[in-house]
Amino acid sequence: MFRIALKGILGRKARLILTSLAVILGTAFLSGTSVFSATLNRTFDNLFADVFQNVDGYVRSTQVIEADFGFEERQRISVDLVDIVENVPGVKDASPDIQAFARIIGKDGKPLGSDGQGPPTFGSIGEQFEGALWTISNGKWPMGSTEVALDEASAKNGGYEVGDTVKIAAQSGSRDFTLVGIASYGDVRSPGGATFALFDQVTASEFLAKPGFIDAILIKGDGSKSDEELAADISAAIPSEYRIETLTGAEITQETQDQIGSALAFFGILLSTFSFIALGVGCFVIYNVFSISAAQRQRENALLRAIGASRKQITRALLIESVAVGLVGSLIGLVAGIGLSKGLSALLNAIGIDLPSGGLVVTLGTVQQTVLVGLLVTIASAYLPARRAGKVPPLAAMRTTVLDNIGTGRGRLIGGLITILLGVAVVVAVIAGADNSFLGIGILGVFVGTIILGPVIARPVALFLGRPAARLRGITGVMARQNSARNPKRTARTASPVLIGVALVTAVTALAASIKGQIDDVFSQQFKGDYAINSDNRGFGGLSPTLAADINSLSVVSKATGIGLLTVKINGKGQYLTTITPDTIEGVYDIGLIDAAYKDLGAADIFIGRSYAERKSIAVGNKLEVELTDGTVRQLTVKGLYEYDDLAGNYVVSRELFAGTTAVSFDFGVYILKKPGVSDAEARTVLNAAVKEYGQGELLSKSEYIDKQSGQVNQLLGLIYGLLALSVIIAVVGIVITLLLSVFERQRELGLLRAVGMTRSQVRTTVRWESVITSLLGAVMGVVLGIGLGWVIVYALRDQGLNTFSLPVASTFSIMVLSFIVGLLAAIYPAWRATRVDILSALNTN
Amino acid sequence: MTPTTATVAASTHNATKIYGSGEGAVYALNDVSVDFMSGKFTAIMGPSGSGKSTLMHCIAGLDELTSGSAIIDDVDLSTMKDKALTELRREKIGFIFQSFNLVPTLTADENIRLPLMLGNDKGDEAWIQTVIDTVHLNDRLTHRPSELSGGQQQRVAVARALASRPRIIFADEPTGNLDSITGSEILTFMRKAVDDLGQTIVMVTHDPVAASYADRIIFLADGRIVNEMTDPTPERVLDQMKNFGS
Repeated sequence: MFRIALKGILGRKARLILTSLAVILGTAFLSGTSVFSATLNRTFDNLFADVFQNVDGYVRSTQVIEADFGFEERQRISVDLVDIVENVPGVKDASPDIQAFARIIGKDGKPLGSDGQGPPTFGSIGEQFEGALWTISNGKWPMGSTEVALDEASAKNGGYEVGDTVKIAAQSGSRDFTLVGIASYGDVRSPGGATFALFDQVTASEFLAKPGFIDAILIKGDGSKSDEELAADISAAIPSEYRIETLTGAEITQETQDQIGSALAFFGILLSTFSFIALGVGCFVIYNVFSISAAQRQRENALLRAIGASRKQITRALLIESVAVGLVGSLIGLVAGIGLSKGLSALLNAIGIDLPSGGLVVTLGTVQQTVLVGLLVTIASAYLPARRAGKVPPLAAMRTTVLDNIGTGRGRLIGGLITILLGVAVVVAVIAGADNSFLGIGILGVFVGTIILGPVIARPVALFLGRPAARLRGITGVMARQNSARNPKRTARTASPVLIGVALVTAVTALAASIKGQIDDVFSQQFKGDYAINSDNRGFGGLSPTLAADINSLSVVSKATGIGLLTVKINGKGQYLTTITPDTIEGVYDIGLIDAAYKDLGAADIFIGRSYAERKSIAVGNKLEVELTDGTVRQLTVKGLYEYDDLAGNYVVSRELFAGTTAVSFDFGVYILKKPGVSDAEARTVLNAAVKEYGQGELLSKSEYIDKQSGQVNQLLGLIYGLLALSVIIAVVGIVITLLLSVFERQRELGLLRAVGMTRSQVRTTVRWESVITSLLGAVMGVVLGIGLGWVIVYALRDQGLNTFSLPVASTFSIMVLSFIVGLLAAIYPAWRATRVDILSALNTN
Repeated sequence: MTPTTATVAASTHNATKIYGSGEGAVYALNDVSVDFMSGKFTAIMGPSGSGKSTLMHCIAGLDELTSGSAIIDDVDLSTMKDKALTELRREKIGFIFQSFNLVPTLTADENIRLPLMLGNDKGDEAWIQTVIDTVHLNDRLTHRPSELSGGQQQRVAVARALASRPRIIFADEPTGNLDSITGSEILTFMRKAVDDLGQTIVMVTHDPVAASYADRIIFLADGRIVNEMTDPTPERVLDQMKNFGS
C-alpha cells in the first residue's frame, strides 16, 4: 500500500504542488515571524552586550516605578556619589551617566528620529572614560554649557559639521549649542539607530535632568577584584541614605536584555497570532484539496477495494500522501519564511521603525516548530477526507462518476444552527453582564456554526449571488451560477477561508471606525481652543513644559496650556497622572469638571475621573497616597471629579505637585486659544515661528489635530491589514486550487461545450464568474459576521471608554469590491487552463 | 443512382492524417476525397482503426488534417483559426455524440438551445418548437440530464443538433450506448429530420442496422475509402462487412 501511495503522489506532481502551496504559505509566515523575532532579539542582545562590555559595575537608585509596557522610571542620584565611588579601592575610573530625552533638530529645522516610535532620541554625558564605547572621531569632547557632540549618524543625517550651531530640545526647553565633536560608538556610527547628543556632566544634568543629578554611574575596575567584590565594596562605601544599588556589568547587561526581550515578546506574540490565523485558514484549503482529490479518485479507490484493499489501507494511502505534502510544504515554507523575515524588516523600515541590521537567526526551535506544525496541520486536515475515502463501497468502481453528491444533511443544518445559537447565547450573556472573557467562546461558536452550516446555505446563496451574472452574461453566466452551486460542500469549503479573512478585516475596520468616531467626538467636545502643538511621544520625552509658557507670552495668544504625563506609584503600582496647569486650562481644554473649579487644584490636590471614582468608591474629600519617583510620598486630597476621562485618564494633578523634584515630566500637547480678532493666518504665522524656534512639535488647527489623533488608528489598522493579508492570500490560493481541480474534473463537459461552439473567451467567462460568485459568497457571509464581531468587540471595550459603534459603510463596500476583484484574479490561471482542454481527448475520456 | 440535383454540404479533397513521423508514422487517413450531399443521410462504416472517426473529426473542425482539405459550405477549414472554427461549429454544424452529450447543470431546454445561446442568437422559435415536437420532448424540457433516461438524453442531443438548423449534422455512434428499441427510435428521428425537415446528417457507426437508415454508406479501411453503397439494407451491409472480414 505504501508503494501505491508513493506512486499516487509521484503520478500527480501537479496536485502535490497545489496542495503543498497552502502548507507552504501557512508555514512560511510561521517560520518568517519566528526567524524575525529571533533576529530582533539577538540584535538587541548584542547591542546591549556591546553597550556594557567594558563596564564592570553600575550604580543606580533603588527607587523605581514600573509602568505599563515595560516603561520604568528610576529616581536620579546625586552627582556627589561619583567622587565616593572613584575613591573605592579597585575602581580605576567612574563616569556619571544620563540617558534622557533630547531631540536633535536638523539643519533643515526637522527633528531627527521619529515621534513616539522607533529608536529613542537620547541626551547623554560625553566625557573621557575608560569603560566607554564612545570615542571622538573628529573634534573634541564637549566642555561647558554651550558645547555638544553628536553621534556620527545623527551629525550626517542632520547635515552638521564641527563648528555648526545645533538646536536641541529637552525637558528644560530648547537651546542652541556649538558642535565640537563627532563621536562614534564602538565600531558603528550610532547604537541601534538611536540618536545621541552628548554634553559634559554639568550641562547634561542641568539641561536634561536636574542640576546636580545623574541617572547612574558607570564603573571600570582596575582588575584587582572580581566584579562581584567590587560591586559589594562600592555598595558598602555609599551611605545608606542615598538608597542606591550596585550591579555588576553582567547583571546590568542581563537586565537590559531581559527588558527589551519582554517588550519584543509582545511583538512576537502579535506576529504569531496572525500566523496561526493564516495556518487555520490554510487548514480549510488543505482539507478541501484532499476532499476533492479523494472524490476524484473514488473509482480508483473503489477498484482497489474491489480487488482486496482494506478500508484502512485506502485511508493510510491518503494519509501517507498527506505526510509527504506536509513535509515538502513545510520545508519549502521554512525556507520561504526566512526570505519573508527579510521582507518584514523592510516593511517595518518603510513605516519608520528602523532596525539594526545583522545576520538572520534561524534557530533549531524555528525549524522544529515550522516542520512539526506544518506536518500536524496537514495530517489533521487530511484525516477526515482520508477516512471518507476508505469508506467508498467497492461497487462504486462499476458505477459511472458520482462526483456531484449534493446530499447535505438535516443533521448538518441542525448542528450548525445549534452551534450558532449557543455562540449567540454566550455573547448575549456577556452583554447581559457575564465576564468579557467568555466573549471569545461565543464568537468562536458563531464562526464554527456558520462554517458547519456553510454547505447548506452555499447553494441558495450562490444561486442568489449568481443571478446578476446569469442575467448579464447569458448562457455563460447561467453555467457559472450553476457550477458554483453544483457542489455546495466544495463551494462552502472554498469560501470559508474568504469568510474568515473578510470577517476579521471587517471587524477590525469596524473597530477602527468606532475608535475614530469616538476620537472625533471626544476632541470636538473637549478641545475648546483653536490650535494645538502636538507631540506623538508618550512615556519617553515630548514637549518641554517651558513651551506652553513661551506660547502664552505671544501677543496673538489669549491662552495656552500644556498637558503632560507623570509617572508615580499608587498602592505600589506604577500609574500615569495627567498633569495640567490649573491657571491656564480653563476654556482651552475641558475635562468636564463636576462641581469643582480648576483653581481649587493645588499642589497637594488631585481630581479623579468620575467613572473610575465610582468603580473604586473614591469620594471627594478622600485622601490618596502617591509616591513620586524620588521616593517621597504625598497625601493628595480629592478635590473634585470630572466626566471626560478620554484624554485625562483616571487622575489629574497640577504641575505644582512635582515642582523642584527630579521627576521627569513632558507635555504631550500644548493647547492654544487665540485672541479674538486675530486672523487665522496671523496666528499661524506667529505660532509657527514659535514652534520652529523651539524646534520640536507640530502646529495643528483644531480639525487637523483631531484628524491626527484618529490618524494614529490608521497606522495600526495598516499593520493589522498587512498581517491579515497573508490569510487573504491563502484564501485566494484556495479558490485557485479548487477551480483548477474542478476544471480538471469537468474536462469532458468542457470538451463538449467547446465542440458545440463555446469559444475560448466564453470558457474563460464561465470560470471567472464561478470564481467571483464563490469569492462573493465568502465575502457576504464574512461581512455579516465581521460587522457582528466588530460590534461585539466595541461593546466589550465599553469600559475602556468606547461607547459608539460606527458602521464602516464605505469600507464594507470596498471589501465587497475587493472580493469581486479577488474572484477575478483567482480565476485567471484556472480559466486559462480550462481553455486549453483538448476537445477530442476530453470527448474520448471515459 | 447518384443525386445530381443536390448541392455539396461538406467535402474532403485528398485528406490525409498522419500520427507520428518517420518509421513509426501511422496513416489514419490516406488521401480521402469524398462529398456529402445536402439533404442526405450518409453513414461512414469500417472496422476500428479504419479512420472513420478521424474523418468525421477532421470535417467537423475538431481535428486538423496533415494535408489535403476539408470544406464545409465552400469554406476550407484548414485556413481558419480557433475562434472562427468554434463559430463555424456553433452555427453550421450540429453534433450528436455516443455519450455525455449534455451539460449536467443545464435543463433539457437549455441544452437544446445551448449553441444558439452561446452565439447570443434567439433562433427560429417556430423551428425549435417543430424540432422539440418531432423528438417528443415537450413534457421533459425543465428536467436536468440526470433526471432523463438514456434515450431521452439522446433525443435532447438530436434536438440540440437540429435547433440551429445547421448546414450539416455529425453523429458519432449515436446509438452505441442504447438498447435496440431506443436506438431505432433515435434513428427514426434522424431519418425524419432528413426526410421531413431537409437536414443533412453524417453518421459514424459500426452497427449495420443503424447504417441501414442512411441513404448512402461509405466504407473505410486502413484510412482509405474501399466501397460505397446506396439505399442499403441491414442484410446487404452485413454481407459487405463479411467480405471485409475475409
